[in-house]
Amino acid sequence: MRHAMALVLSGGSGDRLSVLSAERAVSAIPFGGKYRIVDFVLSNCCHSEIERVSVLTQHAPTSLHDHLGSGRLWDLDRRGGGVEILQPFLTREHAGWYRGTADALAQNTDAIMASHAAQVLVLSGDHVYKMDYRDLFRAHEARAAAVTLAVTAVPPGERQRFGMVTVDRAGRVRQLEEKPKTTSARLASMGIYLFESEVLAECLRGHPVDLVLDVLRPLVEEGERVFAHEFEGYWDDVGTLESYYRANLDLVAPEPRLHLHDARWPILTRDEERPPVLMLTGAEVEDSLVANGCRVAGRVCRSILFPGVEVEAEATVVDSVVMQDTRILRGARVERAILDKFVRVGREAVVGSGADPRGDGVVASLTLAGKYAFVPERARVGRGAVLGVGTGPEDFVENQIRAGARVADHPAHADLR
Amino acid sequence: MSGRYAFVLAGGLGTRLCLLSERRAKPAVPFGGKYRIIDFTLSNCVNSGIYDVGVLTQYHPTSLHRHIGIGRPWDLDRTRGGVQLLQPSLGSVTSDWYQGTADAIYRNLVHLRPRRAEHVLVLSGDHVYKMNYNLLYAFHQANHASATVAVTEVPEEAVQSFGILETDARGRVVGFQEKPRRAQSRLASMGVYLFDRAAFTQWLVEDAERSDSRHDFGRDLLPRLVERGEAVYAYRFQGYWQDVGTLDSYYDTNLALLSDQPPLDLRDPEWVIHTQSADRPPVRFEAGGRAERSLIANGCRVAGRVVRSVLFPGVTVLRGATVTDSILMHDTTVGKGAAIDRAILDKEVVVGAGGRIGWGEASTPGRACPEHLSNGLLVVGKGAHLPEQVTVGRNTRIGAHVTVDDFSGDVPAGGVIHGPDPEH
Repeated sequence: MRHAMALVLSGGSGDRLSVLSAERAVSAIPFGGKYRIVDFVLSNCCHSEIERVSVLTQHAPTSLHDHLGSGRLWDLDRRGGGVEILQPFLTREHAGWYRGTADALAQNTDAIMASHAAQVLVLSGDHVYKMDYRDLFRAHEARAAAVTLAVTAVPPGERQRFGMVTVDRAGRVRQLEEKPKTTSARLASMGIYLFESEVLAECLRGHPVDLVLDVLRPLVEEGERVFAHEFEGYWDDVGTLESYYRANLDLVAPEPRLHLHDARWPILTRDEERPPVLMLTGAEVEDSLVANGCRVAGRVCRSILFPGVEVEAEATVVDSVVMQDTRILRGARVERAILDKFVRVGREAVVGSGADPRGDGVVASLTLAGKYAFVPERARVGRGAVLGVGTGPEDFVENQIRAGARVADHPAHADLR
Repeated sequence: MSGRYAFVLAGGLGTRLCLLSERRAKPAVPFGGKYRIIDFTLSNCVNSGIYDVGVLTQYHPTSLHRHIGIGRPWDLDRTRGGVQLLQPSLGSVTSDWYQGTADAIYRNLVHLRPRRAEHVLVLSGDHVYKMNYNLLYAFHQANHASATVAVTEVPEEAVQSFGILETDARGRVVGFQEKPRRAQSRLASMGVYLFDRAAFTQWLVEDAERSDSRHDFGRDLLPRLVERGEAVYAYRFQGYWQDVGTLDSYYDTNLALLSDQPPLDLRDPEWVIHTQSADRPPVRFEAGGRAERSLIANGCRVAGRVVRSVLFPGVTVLRGATVTDSILMHDTTVGKGAAIDRAILDKEVVVGAGGRIGWGEASTPGRACPEHLSNGLLVVGKGAHLPEQVTVGRNTRIGAHVTVDDFSGDVPAGGVIHGPDPEH
């Protein structure tokens, strides 16, 4: 695939991911027990033999940049091509924050065209899926398309979350609707667009802001050869807290839709050197993913433990996502919670306790703890509460945080702990 | 500190590890749920700031070479220095198979020539330990030694397996016996030597010219240096050190990692043991899965019961199966309802459903390698396929790559199933 390049859009601020994206880009959010979300797209590129990948960053890019490094992990440390980061920059003419997806590309037109790629694959760094992009290229070439969109069928109840695509029998796109209230279309755009580079260059000349509204829709309306390629595999947009949580928990379902134990399509990531999981006496772990470096003496059920998590004796973790080096001390209980890195849950504390503020009895609220949050001994954190980055004992009233309460981030406190 | 260089001896025949080292050098034998034995030495080097290492290989080097590659996991893929694999070769007057440890280095002295190192560190790739070599250098320099041998105290009954040193009050070595029946001292050489470069080169050349030498550090060179009064010192190492020289000690050393306070701490962020790890997903525990007092590496799938065992990456324990007191290497599969007890299963072994591996009495010693297989342990070689419902007694040895057709029913205690000839 020497003639192709990929652009990965990773600049979104991810407001809907709460404390998880407080200090990092959505693409850099940990996922699945050892990965970061962007690993899926980068691994897909690597296995699809795309050797030139540019990652567009804007919001809190540091952890993403650290993670990408030289691109070695995805064999993207190359003399020609490889991985490159495209950040907003200033010119004499304008202040360069990216105002939208198309604007981000337009500001980097020179860099894109300098690659001399015949085709440009535009990807989102926020999606979880395994896809061989070579199928998309083949479909694109077979139809002599100007643009090919990857699409996937979504159930009627979810269609208002996506860009919906109406196609004719030949697979040609006839209509694009952005998050429609009602629609007859069954196919959602996956945010994966394959452009002939001349077509893209031409579109970017008109200073578009949004890829769908200002680029794709006009192309469809003008009758350009825009086609859809249906993808049958698992795909998930983890851009909201609920979908992020659900996609993680889906990995521990009896028949997960996303297979991580797949030697033909491994998801590549930055692997810290950690010893194997140590299971101590009394450990009980079921329906869970547990990464190297963990130490478990308590009970873990339907949960995801990232490297270095410690669950002490008589502690319980249920239906939760627990990130790197978080410690759950003796006798503590964590239920339906997402705990970011380096959180400490004190002895016999409870995270996700008591009545549910939503009270609908169908979906219990998620409880969140940002990086470095510290839950004191025997404290109670009510359901649906959000502990900001660096939450500490001083934020607890009577050793308690009420259900649904929100503790603001104070990252500076994190350094003190 | 720049200009330091280490030779790692990794070529020896590891006959005492039975099947595990039949087709791989002992330093390449998997250890501790994800490592290989040589990882400890290589990690000690880089953690001590030594980034210039030559690894001498000879016996079955392929898995070792593959493992080390260009040295990336240890940050030894460098423009200057890094890791270099030194194999026996032809083409100069000094070229031939390595005769002994001293000879192996003598034949590679050429690699020292372009280097500035004033000292030469000689290590063995066969041992499990965490050691800061900087302390050894400091000790060596403080004593104005020509050679320093790192030593560790061993139990009295073990002296006959080691080189034993006698020292005076100041730590100077006054006696050196290789594998003595009985000894005054209990200080064993760890196979870690630091030499002054100039003296070292001279000694090696001298030794190479002697026809009465077996060209071995422990048997020839060091005793001779001590005898003639060279400044040889013993550096007393206080930490954990294991030779893992026998199947039993290999087994015990692995299982010792499972305690609350293991003698060897693999979780120390200040002294990380680096290894080549394949990209594997986190361990997946399924319904009915249960693991206690065990080390389980990424890529494993546990739907059965695992107790006091070490599972390397990619091991699958299916529903209803039990694994107790065992070591299972990469990508081995334990079929539904099978039971494994006190066994070492090499990589890619398949145990058929309902198999009972490690069953019955342990008093019949193995017909194959009885010196290793007499305490109830059994070994299964790489890639062996064990049929469903088969019962395999203790002290048995199942060869690498045997197939279900090689079995004609159950295997009694002490039995042997031979695999295909390793040379073909």
